[in-house]
Amino acid sequence: MAGENPLHHFELHPLVHMHLGGLDISINKAVIAMWIGLALIFLFFMLVVKSGTQLIPGKLQSLAEVALEFIRGLVDEFIGEEGKKYFHFVAAIFFFIFACNVIGLVPGSYTMTSQLVVTGAFAVMIFVMTLFIGFARHGLHFLSILVPPGVPKIMIPFMVIVETISMLARPISLSVRLFANMTAGHTVLGVLFALTMSAPIWLGWLPFGFTVIINVLEVAIALIQAYIFATLTCVYIGDVIKLH
Amino acid sequence: MKTQEFFRQGLGFAMRLGVEFVVATGVGSLMGHFLDTWLETEPWFLALGVIFGGAAGALNVYRTAQRLVPPDEDDEDNADPNRKPGGSGTDDLKF
Repeated sequence: MAGENPLHHFELHPLVHMHLGGLDISINKAVIAMWIGLALIFLFFMLVVKSGTQLIPGKLQSLAEVALEFIRGLVDEFIGEEGKKYFHFVAAIFFFIFACNVIGLVPGSYTMTSQLVVTGAFAVMIFVMTLFIGFARHGLHFLSILVPPGVPKIMIPFMVIVETISMLARPISLSVRLFANMTAGHTVLGVLFALTMSAPIWLGWLPFGFTVIINVLEVAIALIQAYIFATLTCVYIGDVIKLH
Repeated sequence: MKTQEFFRQGLGFAMRLGVEFVVATGVGSLMGHFLDTWLETEPWFLALGVIFGGAAGALNVYRTAQRLVPPDEDDEDNADPNRKPGGSGTDDLKF
């Protein structure tokens, strides 16, 4: 590990080469990490449901209930009464991103959310979805989202430009935030671990201690980033439903 | 709102604010740059893009900060007027 490029472990190499038409659908570490993430969430909730939901919940049921109540709180707060329709979507996004973030902390696995193409795909999908919801609900009146209420007429052309930039920045900030946090955290871990391996034992404990501390911090960041992503999804959906 | 909830919310906001500003400025600048390249008007649209992007970023940050609900706001009327600032560690974080 010593002397290795700390960004090396973000590189992806196909493990199983597969092509469909002109598309490269090879399976690599990121795909496997994604499958494991999906499987873990699925198994967790299946286990909760299969073991039978009780009026007085057990440990697993309590955990699932707390997590789902938390998402429901977010949806209610930012989308409002209509939020129920989007609850499943937001919950799926939250659990999937959280699982992917946490799986990446297991040594030897891969953080799928450290790929901009993955977070970008999520963010663009959410952005396009909000546009669809907006136009479906409000028709062309949806464009009034570009003019904040109470703006003097002379300022409207400027505000339309500013609001357009602000809207276009949404999917980018959503994807860059998650990708940058995950990449930065894992790079720091990589650098510290490389220091541990290259230092003599009497000095190596210092970077190793930091590696352990930062690993704990990364668990918190995994949760916070999934929370922010879910919150912003709710905020964006809420914005296009309420307009102002 | 409980202090613990506020702490979680605050961490979320801390992670968001910086990125909101930088990305909006970046998007404005890039749009300006593309317009400049297309219309061969360098560097005027880039300069305009930076200004409008910065404005959009500031607006995003302002809106994000507006959503931050300080603790105990819901029961502010019932709050103890003699309460010492910093008593719970976040009491002085009101806007």
